[in-house]
Amino acid sequence: MDFVELTNEAIDVGEAARRIVPAQCGATVTLDGYVRKYTRGLETLYLVYEAYEPMAIKEMLKLVEHAREKFDISHAGIIHRLGKLEIGETSVVISVAAPHRKAAFAACEWLIVELKRTVPIWKKEVYSDGEEWIEGESSIENSQSS
Amino acid sequence: MSVCVQVLFFGATAGVVGQRSVYKRFPEDITANKAFDEILDEFPALTQHKLLYSINQRYAVGTELLHDGDELAVFTAVSGG
Repeated sequence: MDFVELTNEAIDVGEAARRIVPAQCGATVTLDGYVRKYTRGLETLYLVYEAYEPMAIKEMLKLVEHAREKFDISHAGIIHRLGKLEIGETSVVISVAAPHRKAAFAACEWLIVELKRTVPIWKKEVYSDGEEWIEGESSIENSQSS
Repeated sequence: MSVCVQVLFFGATAGVVGQRSVYKRFPEDITANKAFDEILDEFPALTQHKLLYSINQRYAVGTELLHDGDELAVFTAVSGG
């Protein structure tokens, strides 16, 4: 029941959350990450997300696998939107089902932190007077030559 | 002998290079970090960014040997979410 997806279509958050409601579980925690209008004091008109799609899928699958090893959870799912997104539109959904909510909250937080650090997806912020590809603060080891 | 490798760029690096994909020929037995350095020599503007690179859709360690048909991607620190 785990799932990882990239999509160019609007994400139905409720539908994604309800995909994982196993009988042995008592809670599904869902993160709805959406496009913010103001970042660092700048007004964003819209965002464009781009992914290295096959690698992004592989990295998201690894994250789900690791989350299941690390936390007492039953299932997890990640959907990330690509392309042009307007203010307020959902860019990422992470859902985690667990027998008890505490592990689901912890795993959901861990998954979004790791997604932002490791999954090869980039966002471009478009302003009224320009645009900029945002560069993360990745701390991935051994990935840059000396 | 040499190996032919597809080099991919995304987001900011695609903008810097002006292309999303180029094919490059490297000497046989070249390591990933040596190939990465050669790419930076060819596109020096890339060095103004904090870069990551992957081999065949996995983050590179750097010591991997490149083979014919491998896929090397060069990109900035990720910013999804």
